[in-house]
Amino acid sequence: MIRHHPSDATLIAQAAGQLPALHAAVLAVHLSACPHCRGELRRLEDIGGVLLAELPPVPLQPDALARTLARLDEKVDATPPAVAPITLAALAVGRWWWLGPGVRLMPLSRRDASGTRLDLLCVAPGRALPGHGHTGPEMACILQGAYADETGEYSAYDIAEGNAGLDHTPIASPGADCICLVATTGRLRGHTWLARLVQPLMGI
Amino acid sequence: MTEPGPERLILKIAAHGDRAAFTALFMQFAPRVKAYLSRRGLDGTQAEELAQEALLTVWRKAAQFDPARASAAAWIFTIARNLRIDAARRAQFSQRGPDPTDEPLAAPTADVILAAEHRGARVGAALAALPAEQLEVIRLAFFDDRPHADIERVLGIPLGTVKSRLRLAMSRLRKLLEDDL
Repeated sequence: MIRHHPSDATLIAQAAGQLPALHAAVLAVHLSACPHCRGELRRLEDIGGVLLAELPPVPLQPDALARTLARLDEKVDATPPAVAPITLAALAVGRWWWLGPGVRLMPLSRRDASGTRLDLLCVAPGRALPGHGHTGPEMACILQGAYADETGEYSAYDIAEGNAGLDHTPIASPGADCICLVATTGRLRGHTWLARLVQPLMGI
Repeated sequence: MTEPGPERLILKIAAHGDRAAFTALFMQFAPRVKAYLSRRGLDGTQAEELAQEALLTVWRKAAQFDPARASAAAWIFTIARNLRIDAARRAQFSQRGPDPTDEPLAAPTADVILAAEHRGARVGAALAALPAEQLEVIRLAFFDDRPHADIERVLGIPLGTVKSRLRLAMSRLRKLLEDDL
């Protein structure tokens, strides 16, 4: 049962196309299992549609319609759009690195332009999750197993946002290894204000 | 006779490649998609090109438009949004949301089409019922690309206040639209 959902700011950023790519990769895992948040997102996209229809129009070039009409019969190769991987098997394509007793990390992406990186984190039952430097995970989605901290228990498809390293101690629950997909943002520069909203610890 | 709404225009395109319907839809939406893309930080040429591309995508994917899931405006919005993301993508992972066009679909019934037509109107009414400052942060969230410091300056409020206004706006919208969508 999903108990922890993404914040409004995160869902709005996703609907607006403003969520940093790697955070969106984490959110995609949650959405795949959460009809409630998919409904919220649809509602937000409806809002986007209303706002779009209300925008004052900006005129196109005089030949824009003619050029577009001329292209209607173009053949297109029907390559299906790339779908973000959402299962552990699809995500875990790299190699695990030993970080400490019972803790392994699989880097999935280098830091992108927004200073965000994406990793899989695997913690053995009963072990504490490590902090990563001073930033800590910004957004995580649990893929397998569970962990608990002062704010509750997080299990499959739950979202944890914010800085886990501040003043709580997440510990992997008994049972299977706890594996999370984690997007971590290390610096601020280049972020839009909305992206900032969904990264609560970035030095506000 | 009033002109058919955008939902019916898309369904006409889907049913028999109706170019007149496409032209009407283009006139209505292409200049607004261009406005949206300009606000999202694209320059004039890019916004022009992507706006045409967005309407071309509407033509190509019209058969996948599902009025049970989205109003026409919301559907076109997600197409434009995803085109912008695809154009801007640098990272290895895509940030685009699931496309409403990615799923198969049965022919819509008349009441579903009607419901889609009313859907936009209901959301519009709910937005109009929001206090001005809450509508402002929602609009900025969808259409503004400025760094947060500028937003704080533009609105004259700290980011924490932006966040609480967003939260208030969302809970109010949820109440207004409950059981509706």
